[in-house]
Amino acid sequence: MHIFCKAIAETAGIPYILPPETSRKTLTLGVLHSNESICLPFKIILGNFIEALQMGADTIVMVGSGPPCRLGLYDLVQKVILEDMGLHYRWLTIPPRLSWKAIWKNHEETKELRKELSAKNVLFFPYGLWMGWKKMMACEALEQLAMKVRPMEIKKGETQGRLKKALSWVDEAKTPRALDGAIREGKTHLQEMERDPSRIPFKVAIVGELYTVMDPHINRGVEQKLGELGVEVTRTSWFSTHILRSLRKNKADRASERIRFFEASKAYLGYDVGAECNISIGEAILRSEEGYDGVVHLMPFACMPETTASGILTKVGKDRDIPILTLILDEQEIEGRIQTLLEAFVEMLEWKRRAA
Amino acid sequence: MEEKGRIGIPRALMFYRYFPLWRSFFERLGWKVMVSDGIKQKEKIIYFEDSCLPMKLLVTHAIQLKDKVDHLFIPRLVSIHRTYIMCPKFRGAPDIVRLATEGNVSILDETVDLRKGGAPLLRSFMNIAEKLGASRQESKRAFREAEESFSKFQKDWVGRINRLPTGQLFEMDVPTPAPRRVQGCPEPHMVQGAASSVEVGGKGVGIPLRIAFIGHPYNLFDIDINKDLLALAKSLEMEIMTSDLLSEKEIDQEVSGLSKEIYWSSGREIVGSLFHFLSGGVDGLVFLTSFKCGIDALLQEFIKRRLKVRGGSSIPFLILSFDEHTGREGLTTRMEAFRDVVEQRKNSKSEARNSKQHQNSNRMTKGIFPF
Repeated sequence: MHIFCKAIAETAGIPYILPPETSRKTLTLGVLHSNESICLPFKIILGNFIEALQMGADTIVMVGSGPPCRLGLYDLVQKVILEDMGLHYRWLTIPPRLSWKAIWKNHEETKELRKELSAKNVLFFPYGLWMGWKKMMACEALEQLAMKVRPMEIKKGETQGRLKKALSWVDEAKTPRALDGAIREGKTHLQEMERDPSRIPFKVAIVGELYTVMDPHINRGVEQKLGELGVEVTRTSWFSTHILRSLRKNKADRASERIRFFEASKAYLGYDVGAECNISIGEAILRSEEGYDGVVHLMPFACMPETTASGILTKVGKDRDIPILTLILDEQEIEGRIQTLLEAFVEMLEWKRRAA
Repeated sequence: MEEKGRIGIPRALMFYRYFPLWRSFFERLGWKVMVSDGIKQKEKIIYFEDSCLPMKLLVTHAIQLKDKVDHLFIPRLVSIHRTYIMCPKFRGAPDIVRLATEGNVSILDETVDLRKGGAPLLRSFMNIAEKLGASRQESKRAFREAEESFSKFQKDWVGRINRLPTGQLFEMDVPTPAPRRVQGCPEPHMVQGAASSVEVGGKGVGIPLRIAFIGHPYNLFDIDINKDLLALAKSLEMEIMTSDLLSEKEIDQEVSGLSKEIYWSSGREIVGSLFHFLSGGVDGLVFLTSFKCGIDALLQEFIKRRLKVRGGSSIPFLILSFDEHTGREGLTTRMEAFRDVVEQRKNSKSEARNSKQHQNSNRMTKGIFPF
């Protein structure tokens, strides 16, 4: 994620601070300053903010969200926590939906900030956004490719190494032309890898709360782990999906897929519960029809919409005869446990395949 | 009127606020209303999903009722306020119960969303009545009458809390007892409403401590969740104040200035009334929450931090978090300790006031007799 945010700031010439990658320390900081029932994304985001502010950042830009999930009120609480910790900051919330009210609120928030921006910053900002968007799409394309080739890799872990390298090329690209080159090179770099074509990978869809699905630091690399166990992973939650959704561009491919999922969930759920709940259920239902071997459902501990989803998913799994593994994530160090669970899950898929 | 059938209402969640309304509505339509019993033992709780205790109890109560009734009434409460919404778990509640009861019982799961225009509440109730086969006129009249009796019930509500055992609060046939007069003490001000809540007693023994109990109604009044905290409080000579005492305006005052609007109506009520009571009017505050409640977890952190940052209130504040393992003994100890703190603070305050008065009178005396 940092790659494209960095690209925006860099291209527009805005000084930025890149917080260190989410680590054990980040999480510990977040946990220390919140309470046990608050969901994991809150703790991690808070930890990131604290680390960045301690490194000298003075402005926080945060993506906002709306009801009914707790995410919509993160900023309200985090502001008070940071204030209580004696950290100073200026805050800018990017509205979750484009509306006049949101633009007016942003106008108020940015009054102070705008004084510091030079004409060059403002002039280059749209270009920066465009570069950021480009880079984001590039990262996603590379990751998707990696998800496809990973189950076939002969040397375990090679895909991850190559993906990292490809992503760093994208990160370093400064001009649109260099970026195009980096994408091309990255793709061939991944495709060149030695592969075992005789393998028939299992197909598993990852569904669930978006932070836990998208951030490998939060889910302890579930995607990579599954891939290395010989599973081709699919997911429909990407940054671009959610950005497009909030821009109300619902006609784009991925968004229309989400509408399909939503419709499918109506068999079990009579109303929009919020966040990803309905999508998780609908996707599990449709994936079982599409011949997928299994579904992995990720959620943070005490997440409100996904708790409802997990209850219903158990039933979906029974009704549709598709294995569903729900992983509840929190700050506990459970990487080993996740590995064991995933191994057992894949073994189960193997039995099922053999029995069929 | 002959009985048309039975409708079961699980003793859970918003039962603890709207039961009188629901009951009189169904009874006026000629249906018998059945309510589930208490759970009492934690072994009986059914764990269908890994949710907060109130949701687990909803499933348990529903399963308890399902064979005894024709319909289960579990409305889909999306919003019970013009602008604000309910916790997202309420939106999926009927579906969860439907899966847990394996489709064995018909569930009335009409969506209630008061954000919509027109008369959304009336419309929801009319839809329910239609499913039960009542005519439009019948259902309209039943709703009006139910609403009337509900508002009458609400007027007595605060008195009921203080004068009835918790188990009887929602038994509408039990009348609200008249205020007691103890040893010539004036009746505590609770019945007159919030206006008089400013003048705090402190004149000595006999006047109960005024403690505000804040939390979701289903945490406050469900004996299975809070182990009858209210009875415990009464036995410790506490006068119970709740957010029901405050008008919506008073609650809104405290939360409207925030940088982002709290969009859950229950969350607003909790934060608003907490800050209202913290600014004066009570001797102590107790905040009840159930473990894993998403809204409370977030707002609790907000309240604590804000109090620390802004300061300004020295009223003792206790947070009690409940789950099925909560024991009565631990609770009693904490409440007794809390009472001691509140009492000490109150005494030291009145002592300080007395000594100040004493000094003042000394000075006066000096002024008149300059020796």
